[in-house]
Amino acid sequence: MLRPYGEEMKRMWTWIAIAVGAVVVLVCVGLSVMAGSPKDAIQMVRYALPYMHRGDLKVGDRVPDVQLVALDGQSRFPLRERMTGRPLVLVFGSFT
Amino acid sequence: MGDVEKLYDDYKDHADFLTIYIREAHPIDEWKMRSNDKDKDDVCYVQPKTLEQRVAIANDFTKRFKYTLPFAIDDMNNAANDAFAAWPERLYIVEETGTISYKGGNGPFNYDPNEVRAWLAKRYGEVKAPAAEPQKSAEPAAVEKKS
Repeated sequence: MLRPYGEEMKRMWTWIAIAVGAVVVLVCVGLSVMAGSPKDAIQMVRYALPYMHRGDLKVGDRVPDVQLVALDGQSRFPLRERMTGRPLVLVFGSFT
Repeated sequence: MGDVEKLYDDYKDHADFLTIYIREAHPIDEWKMRSNDKDKDDVCYVQPKTLEQRVAIANDFTKRFKYTLPFAIDDMNNAANDAFAAWPERLYIVEETGTISYKGGNGPFNYDPNEVRAWLAKRYGEVKAPAAEPQKSAEPAAVEKKS
């Protein structure tokens, strides 16, 4: 038996809302599990995702010659200055 | 950092190393983690807003943990971080010719010092430095720390 058009539309939008809601809940649960807790998930989205990139550099590219600051906080030097004819291992990181 | 320090001890006669300190990953004023706490890693720093703050934290950490690798600091424009897509942590190997020979994955999940070790071992053979020094103990922090 055919339902009225308005009822069909209402039913469709209800299912769309349920599907979207389910996806949102799944994403929230997934991020919470990954980050450790819902609070961590929020902070990860706010503070981590904007800074996490794969970048364009790839094996075979010339190393960018960025300026770095020495531990004394005053002197600066280009990265390539630290190349002495041997391989250079770069360790990027922070302390927390 | 322990794996990298061991790597440095083993291969410093064959390769140069440079640690580049970039913006904090889990400062206490952003995404603080349980592992920051005093009874864990004891690394409770705020996100530096000035170069002076960043330099102070770098000096505090390297002294407290007796960090031995050659060290540099990314400027506040985060130029190195941006150029190398380094945050929160990443490893690279640059050949003598200035080309990138190895690009590690983003930390923490894809950060693997063993891949660097394998690269170095392939070129120089497996190297193990003599027995490690006595256990390092962290001294109390001097700057920019909050409990």
